[in-house]
Order: sequence, then structure tokens, then C-alpha cells
Amino acid sequence: MARARAGARDWERYGLGVGCLVLPLAVWEIVPRLVTLPRGAKLFFAMPSQIVVALYRLVESGEFQGHFAVSAAEFLLGLGLSIVVGLPLGLLLGRFKTLDDLLDPYVTSFNATPRIVWLPLLILWFGIGIWSKVVIVFIGAVFPLLINTYEGVRNADRVLVNVVRSFGGREWQVMKVVVLPNALPYIVAGLRLAIGRAILGVVVGEFFGASRGLGYMIASAASGYRADVMFAGVLVFMALSLGLTLSVKALETRLTRWRPQATKTF
Amino acid sequence: MLNALGRRRRMVLGCGSVVVFVGAWEIAFSTVVRWDPFFITKPSLIAAAFREQILGGKLWKDMAVSGEAFLAGFALAVVVGIPVGAVMGWRRRAEYALDPLLTALYASPLIALAPLLIITMGVGIVAKAVLVFLLAVFPFIFNTFAGVRCTDPLLINVVRAFGGRERDLYLKVILPGVVPYIVAGARLAIGRGLIGILVGEFYAASEGLGFAISRFGDTYRLPEMFTGILVLAVVAVGLTGAVRKLEAMVAPWRAGQQER
Repeated sequence: MARARAGARDWERYGLGVGCLVLPLAVWEIVPRLVTLPRGAKLFFAMPSQIVVALYRLVESGEFQGHFAVSAAEFLLGLGLSIVVGLPLGLLLGRFKTLDDLLDPYVTSFNATPRIVWLPLLILWFGIGIWSKVVIVFIGAVFPLLINTYEGVRNADRVLVNVVRSFGGREWQVMKVVVLPNALPYIVAGLRLAIGRAILGVVVGEFFGASRGLGYMIASAASGYRADVMFAGVLVFMALSLGLTLSVKALETRLTRWRPQATKTF
Repeated sequence: MLNALGRRRRMVLGCGSVVVFVGAWEIAFSTVVRWDPFFITKPSLIAAAFREQILGGKLWKDMAVSGEAFLAGFALAVVVGIPVGAVMGWRRRAEYALDPLLTALYASPLIALAPLLIITMGVGIVAKAVLVFLLAVFPFIFNTFAGVRCTDPLLINVVRAFGGRERDLYLKVILPGVVPYIVAGARLAIGRGLIGILVGEFYAASEGLGFAISRFGDTYRLPEMFTGILVLAVVAVGLTGAVRKLEAMVAPWRAGQQER
């Protein structure tokens, strides 16, 4: 009985969830076929089927791959750089109080201000090639990583740190045995935020100062009234973002499984 | 938790490092380094530009234009986000129906829709407000949802056991429990909303703070551009700080246990 109820509940859950995902798409696809849209609206409009066709054409012609490679390079270089800088810096700030006090105003103010504001300056400095985007991705992604690492290091159990010290452990042993394992879930949560920021940086950076890349493709399609191509670009970004975020989320759940209570991250 | 001495030390060291940084920047660019004014600028020039912009009144006008769009979008996000989140938290069917869709939208870079919004709705306040709304509504939805969901069932039972009505449940248990979550959501929403304003105004606008920053950048007027960036930073830090204070007020037990 209970199992049957739970089964019904699951069914209800997935049915409703999938239904609410599919229904808007169906309406979007069907309504334009029944109602004739005004000419003006047609300029901005593309049905899901047209979007898929546009995406297929882009892939077939190789145009998509070219843009994608540029965006991917910017994303990976920027995110890689932010990991290389953010993790060690977060570790240092978490362990050394004076450094933390000295750098806190910069971290706080940079983190509160949308990093996109630096884009015009970065385009001025680095031009419209990939490096201005790499830097905007970097400054967007580095702060969540840095701050989460910092919080993870700061939240290390003092008792455990003292135990390692009492048994003659050195600073790097404290790091290895207590601090890093404790910080790991925080770091992964930071990575999830950083991925979102990095994708934002790629999109926005390519809107304004680029001659290649998926963001550029969206912006130029929009100004050329090619709605199908534009939506195809948006769709790709959504899929990538969702895929990456969900896989990091899965990793996060796995890493925090052993904890008595889940670390809250939202 | 920082004690008074620690806080004071932090204050002094923090201010000191900013002063040293600005001083070093100024001195280096006044004496040692040969620099290109199209490429970089120095604090004294930024200060002069700042003064001129404040007195000239152009800056205030830009801020008013941006602020209006921000407030409109943000208010809409509050008005829509909180009820949607509350319904999702309180009615299981609503959660089942909306959660996958909204999670997918939350995780995807909706900013990619900016060109479409601006081309369809024009360069005025509407497109920017919609952009702010789209970005800011999700923290409100998900935080209200989490807040309602985390309501202590014991408290609900207490109200029911003592003959409380549905209304008492909402006003005495759920609302006070949810407010801290909403305030925490507001903090996230501010950051996202500011991104919306900036991107909207970078993309196409004729006035506003984002427009000013990008135009000064395009015309190589770096001191003026830095003025805009500085103003935005002050606004962002001020808003975030104010919300953080509010957070500490409405939920003192939660202060300091969240990511920044």
C-alpha cells in the first residue's frame, strides 16, 4: 500500500515536472501554426522546430564548431586561471589573519560589484581577441572560488587542528590532514558558482567586444533579425550551463555524503 | 566571530592597505612610470573627474535612469518571486510542477536573451527592467521556497494544537521563519540585478550609468570611466552591506554563517 502510494507520488512528480517543461514548448510550437502572427513579430520569432533546424545547419556548415571552439577556449583558460589563483589565495587568506585583514577591502568590494563593469576597460587593454574575455571570465570566476576556499579553511575544526599540532604535526600536515579535507566541499560549491560566472563572462564579453564565439553569434544574429540562429545560440549556452552545473552539483552531493549534516549552500 | 579588538585591527589594516595602494599608484604614475593616458590613469585625475561629474549633474541623471529601471525590475521580482516560492514550498504539487523548469532557467545564463529583449522592447526602461526581473526573480523564488520548506513542523503542530487557524499559521509561524531567507535572497538578487542593468545599458542605451561607462571607455576618457566604475562599486557595496545589516537584524542567529 505504502509502496503503491510512493509509486503514485513519483509518477505525479515526474509527470508534472516533465509536463511543465514540455507544455510551454508545445504552445510555442503550435500557436504560431494556428494563429497568423503580425509581420513585425515574425522578425523576432522562431519556433522550436526551426531552432533545431538552424542548429543542425550551423553544425553542418562548421560555423558552430568555429564559434564554439573560441568560446570554449575563453571559458577554459579563464576558469583554469581562476582556479590556479583562487584556491591558493583562499588558502593563504584563511590561514594568515594579517593577509586577510589587508586584502579584505578589495575582496569584499570586488565581489559585491558586478565584474562585468570592467569589460569596457578590458576591451581597451586587451583588444577584441580572446584575452579580454579570458580576463573577464577570470575576474568573474575567481571570487567565488577564493571566498569558498577561505570559508572552508576558516571553518576547519579547531580541536582537530590542535590534535595534529599536539602530536607534533607541522603547518603543512595540518593543511593536509584537517584543513583541505574540510574545505573540499566548499571548494566544489565555489566551483559551481564559478562556472556560472564564467559562462556569464563568456556570453557578455562576446556580446560587446568580439568577432568570434557563440556570444558574438547570438548578438550578430539578433541584430540581423535571424531569430532561429539567435535562439540556437541561447539553447547551446543553456544546455552547457545546465550540464556543467548539474554535474558539479552531483559531485558536491557525493563529497558531502559522509557529513552528519549537509553544508548549506545557496 | 571577531571580537572588538580583532575588528579594529581589521579596520586599520584594511584602510591602511587601500591608502598605501592608492598612494603607490599615484606616486608611481607621477614620477617613475611613463604612461599613456589612453591606457591607464591615476587617482588624482580620477578624483578631478569625479568632482566634475558630481558637480555637473550628469552623473546624478545617469544614476537616476539606471536606478529607475533597476527598481522597477527588482520590485517586480519581489512581487512575483515571493508568492511563487511560497506556493512551491507549501503545495507539493506546485513544487513538482515548477521545480524542474525553474531550476533549468536558474542555472542557464538568461543574460543571453539580452539582445532579443532589447531589440523587441527598445532601448528604454522596459527592456532593462525585464532583464533585471529575469535575473533577480530566481533568488527570491528559491529562497522563499527553502524558507517555507524549512519551517519547523513542531511549530505548525503547536499552532494547530492550540486551535490556531490557517491565518495564524501564516502570520505567526511561516512569515517570521521565511523573512531571513528572503533577505538573504535579496542580497543575491541585487548582484544579479546590477548585472542586468549593466548589460542592458552596455548593449544599447542612450543614458544610464552602464551607458556612461561604456561610452567613456569607447572614447578613451579613462578618468571619467573610472568614476562610473567607482560609483557603481559604491552603490553595490552599499546595497549589499545594507542588506547584510538587515539580515543580521531580522535573523541574528544566522549572521556570519553564510558565504559572502
